[in-house]
Amino acid sequence: MLAKIPKWNLMLGIILIAEIIIFGLINPRFLNITILLNSFNDFIGIAIIAFFVTFVVITGGIDISGGSIIGLTSVVIGILSQVIGINIWVSIILAILVGGLCGLLNGILIAYGRVQAMVITLGGMLLYSGVAIVLVGFSGVSTYEGISGFPQAFTNLAYGKLLGIPHSVLLFFIMFAIAFVLLYWTRYGRYIYLTGINQHAAEYAGIHTRKIIASTYVLSGLSAGVAGVMLTSYLGSARADFGAEYLMPILTVVVLGGTLITGGKGGVVGTALASIIVGFLQIGLQMGGVSTQYIGLATGLLLIISAAFLGISADFKSNIKRIVSPQKNSV
Amino acid sequence: MRKFNILKTLFGILLLVFLLAACNTNDDGATKDNSDGGDSSGNEAASDIEVVFIPKMTGNAFFESGNNGAQAMAEEIGFKVKYDGAPEGTVANQVQIINSAVSSGADAIAISSVTSDGLNQALQNALDAGVKVVTWDSDVDPEYRTAYINQGTPEILGAMLVDMAAEQMDDPNAEQQVAWFYSSPTVPDQNSWVDYAETYIAEKYPNWEIVTKQFGEGDEQLSLQIGESIIDSYPDLDAVIAPDSTALPAMAQAAENKGLTAEDIIITGFASPNSMRQFIENGTILNHGLWDVTDQGALAVYIAYYLAQGNELKVGDTVDVPNIGEVTVEPNSVQGYDYEAEDSGIIVLPERIVFTKHNTNDFDF
Repeated sequence: MLAKIPKWNLMLGIILIAEIIIFGLINPRFLNITILLNSFNDFIGIAIIAFFVTFVVITGGIDISGGSIIGLTSVVIGILSQVIGINIWVSIILAILVGGLCGLLNGILIAYGRVQAMVITLGGMLLYSGVAIVLVGFSGVSTYEGISGFPQAFTNLAYGKLLGIPHSVLLFFIMFAIAFVLLYWTRYGRYIYLTGINQHAAEYAGIHTRKIIASTYVLSGLSAGVAGVMLTSYLGSARADFGAEYLMPILTVVVLGGTLITGGKGGVVGTALASIIVGFLQIGLQMGGVSTQYIGLATGLLLIISAAFLGISADFKSNIKRIVSPQKNSV
Repeated sequence: MRKFNILKTLFGILLLVFLLAACNTNDDGATKDNSDGGDSSGNEAASDIEVVFIPKMTGNAFFESGNNGAQAMAEEIGFKVKYDGAPEGTVANQVQIINSAVSSGADAIAISSVTSDGLNQALQNALDAGVKVVTWDSDVDPEYRTAYINQGTPEILGAMLVDMAAEQMDDPNAEQQVAWFYSSPTVPDQNSWVDYAETYIAEKYPNWEIVTKQFGEGDEQLSLQIGESIIDSYPDLDAVIAPDSTALPAMAQAAENKGLTAEDIIITGFASPNSMRQFIENGTILNHGLWDVTDQGALAVYIAYYLAQGNELKVGDTVDVPNIGEVTVEPNSVQGYDYEAEDSGIIVLPERIVFTKHNTNDFDF
């Protein structure tokens, strides 16, 4: 299984290097390491949620509520710290836990209620953004303005640097390391794959697949909480609509990273590479003088070209066969 | 086989990048026509200056018209304007666009902000990097910009709304039922106009009664439903004032659907002439107003360019702008701000336009 993945990741790595070279030729300022590292701020939210949505997708599910959880987390931080007056760091932890709770709600309904993941997370998406808007109403500021006035220490979360490396880059690698270790070096990670490949077989093998499935949504919710904290710090105010536009980018980097939407195959290394590729693509094209509204076109082409390659790779076909062919469950 | 695939991928990406680079409409041809302003003490050639012109969102007629004006001004003077906005008007998108403008070495940005405070940190970074900041249409915290190109103060626009309705009435001093209909209870600019308009009504037309305030959230379908419900709920209504580019066309459409004309109910407000022309021509409405958004875009990028050349703008200064005329930098207090600094002010567009069937065909935006 693991031996098959690097081929796709190698391709992503080559795309990334090609991107840097090409954009560097178009606009030499692109090769300025500070600019490249600072650009992480603009896709960090997408990347860290995508790491854990990758888990969800490997189990055969899908989670589209991440963007709304960002907005909810953001509002919770704002209300706890600015309206109620709780210490900012405590507010952050509570807000991340709220994200986890949202994930738990999704996970329980999907794993134990046997409802389709798409339906539940779609409902979750609408529910959490609705709750966020209601909460803003309680805070006494208008939904248009957002809650601001955070302490400098909080703003430094996103804008600070450690040894010259922006915090967002560090967070990217910390979250990546957590996801990587969980997925590849623990039994839990293996169970996630096995659940995705064949839930019945995994269940007979003694794996609590429902717990595994529910837990992936919790992780996804927690990571959305972390993203919400980062984005609130980055933008300096708490608003209900933060993250609303992240839905498609998150799914884009997951599938571009080589994770099968049907489950059972994929990995966070690909997701990490894909999120950097998409992030650099945006800033590179902007620096090349292309207007932002055309960037979707580039991302779409990249995705379709990559997916076409994935489609003709042999192990993809065998995977599809394995997933599509009728399972014979001898009882 | 795999090597072949990788080659193909590389080729694909190369193709894609060049394809997109070709979308770029900026003409990099060096224009020799250095700025005509004899008073400009600028030390940079015009063609070296790049202004990034940022709308709230792309694909909206109002902002596209602003961009048309901006591009025309850039072409005439010979500096570069890059139009850069995202299809969704969100804070994160605008921050990303500001950051990339700074990274790519732009000299100035002219932005219509979606938020009053969410861009502060990004704009501070831009200012620290030496990028000049101008706002237009919708302002940010005055600390973070040099000039705000304002379509009109609340006093000007509020009074204009009331007068456009009053001039259609047989006797504006008699009792009249009036409804407000605009985008949302939280949008800063429209609410400031309506607040002033209400004080103006209380002074000038004390017999008017404001029967309702409705909000369409900038959504075309919702606005149409609300427009129809206003007509149904208030049968004796005399006038609806809709200072919003989504609400006004929807209100006119609702009246047309109900078979009403300007004889039955007065509908006026702010929207672009292209979106209202059909209603003026078929008699559903008699007048509506707006400022010339192409002029606003042109003025915004010119002021940004003027600052990027190294010129200073202080409160009380005047600038002679080609095709627009002389504009003055007013203090922030004209918009009701407390923040006063020498290098932060407001430039009010010289004129606003009332469109009627006599002049609507003279405009194309």
